[in-house]
Amino acid sequence: MFATLTKYRHVFLVGLQGNLVYRWNFAIRGVFSLFSLAVVFILWGAAYKDLDQIGGFNVNQTLTYFVLLFVLQFLVGAFNEDYQISEEIRNGLINQFLLKPVNYYAYRFSIFVAARTVSGALVILPLLLAMPVIHENLTLTMDFNRFALAVPAVAMAALIQFSIAYCFGMLTFWFLDIQGFIILSFAIETLLGGQMFPLDLMPAAVFKVAQYLPFYYQMYFPAAIITGRIDATLIARGLVLQFFWVLTLYGLAQLLWRRGLRHHTAVGG
Amino acid sequence: MGLRHYARLWLASARYAIIRTMMFRFDFFLWSLVEFTWMMVNLLLVQVIYDHTSDIAGWTKYEMLLLVGTSMTIQRLFTGFFWSNLFEVGRNVRSGHFDFFLAQPGNPLFMISTRKLDPDGLINSLVGIAVVVYSANKLGLHPGAFDLAVYGMLIACGVILHYSTMVLIIALSFWITSSQGIEGSYFVIYQFSRLPREAFKGISKVLFVYLLPAVVVSNIPANVLRHGFSLPQFGWMVAIALAWFTVALLVFQSGLRRYSSASS
Repeated sequence: MFATLTKYRHVFLVGLQGNLVYRWNFAIRGVFSLFSLAVVFILWGAAYKDLDQIGGFNVNQTLTYFVLLFVLQFLVGAFNEDYQISEEIRNGLINQFLLKPVNYYAYRFSIFVAARTVSGALVILPLLLAMPVIHENLTLTMDFNRFALAVPAVAMAALIQFSIAYCFGMLTFWFLDIQGFIILSFAIETLLGGQMFPLDLMPAAVFKVAQYLPFYYQMYFPAAIITGRIDATLIARGLVLQFFWVLTLYGLAQLLWRRGLRHHTAVGG
Repeated sequence: MGLRHYARLWLASARYAIIRTMMFRFDFFLWSLVEFTWMMVNLLLVQVIYDHTSDIAGWTKYEMLLLVGTSMTIQRLFTGFFWSNLFEVGRNVRSGHFDFFLAQPGNPLFMISTRKLDPDGLINSLVGIAVVVYSANKLGLHPGAFDLAVYGMLIACGVILHYSTMVLIIALSFWITSSQGIEGSYFVIYQFSRLPREAFKGISKVLFVYLLPAVVVSNIPANVLRHGFSLPQFGWMVAIALAWFTVALLVFQSGLRRYSSASS
């Protein structure tokens, strides 16, 4: 057990060094993302102009929700893990793992954690840049129970994000180009993950269905816990369903890996 | 080399692109679906916000759909005709593969811009037009032939603006060799085109309405359908389309002079 942890700790450290090389890419991406945040502020600011509340929340609560999503994206979001995995399969780099006692999922997840450690730390830069403009709109009730419940929700969100990206990477075993699938899934994740609008603003029936899908737990769920958009019952049930999706997606990832390897041909040496 | 020569070159590329699409039918279907899904995501955003409010910056729901539909039409036309061509320029400059275009019988910018065609983007521009027609119908708008012709010209100006912006972005790769990923800044700029001009205040107004063409590109055409022809607005759009196109040409030419191919 200890030896296993040490093995992946080294992968994490190598991943950390590798990702530090790309620190400017993360920082630039963060600054670009500020423009998307500007779109959100302009659009929702205008929508709230003559209204005190939308869906039971005031303008600052809704804007805070979006700022939190912005942070979560850098902290737990999958960036290009699907492409990286796809490349490793296509280039035959995975062949080395077939002969070594290394679990490919654990290996990639260690690198994912390293990458999010770097991007999660660097998100402070664009936030600091935006702070003079957005600080008046930020509002958070200091409810420590909520913050405590958000910790497992954020951790499981990271696992779901990673597992979905991993599964899409696995598609490379069957398809030559997976870019179309990835962008299609990105559109669905953006919508049902609550990045276009807080999901609670959808009609009640649709919101209910969304709660049974994994995308709900990628972004919306942890952000909604912290910003108080959902009550204790929804949080408790959500944590159980989120855990179910973590296990299901892990199972699917393993299944795709095993099935995919049957299709895989390692050529050359 | 006259216009006829360029028209023939373009037709040859278009024919090749369509034959290629017919060969990879699943790809065509998948990418059409990808673009269609993104368009639906944006339409759903409008639907959800207007479930809770009746106007945004003075625009009603169907006026907003008219704006979003116009923005989509311009963007799909641009991506259909030019995106995959311009997207790979940076990579080609870095790898030296750009030499291939310089050796071709025509203006380099024309040759790099027209080699490919994406029928999926062009098909989806019809979805954008359908959204515009549907919203205009819901608003009880009956634009005359003149207004429609002006709208069409403004859409063309919009495509020129998108094209010029993208040429300016990719021209950076002549100066900055590590410019990988800068192509994405095109989407960063034009996401503002789905917002009404009246929603912008202060610094955001100066930056996105006056300095960059990000907002007027869709607002001016949509306003022709909403309120009819306005000479100052029409003049503004034509003037900035010409200005941005000229600047893009000059910057590209200047970048081209710096290009010294890549080793090996």
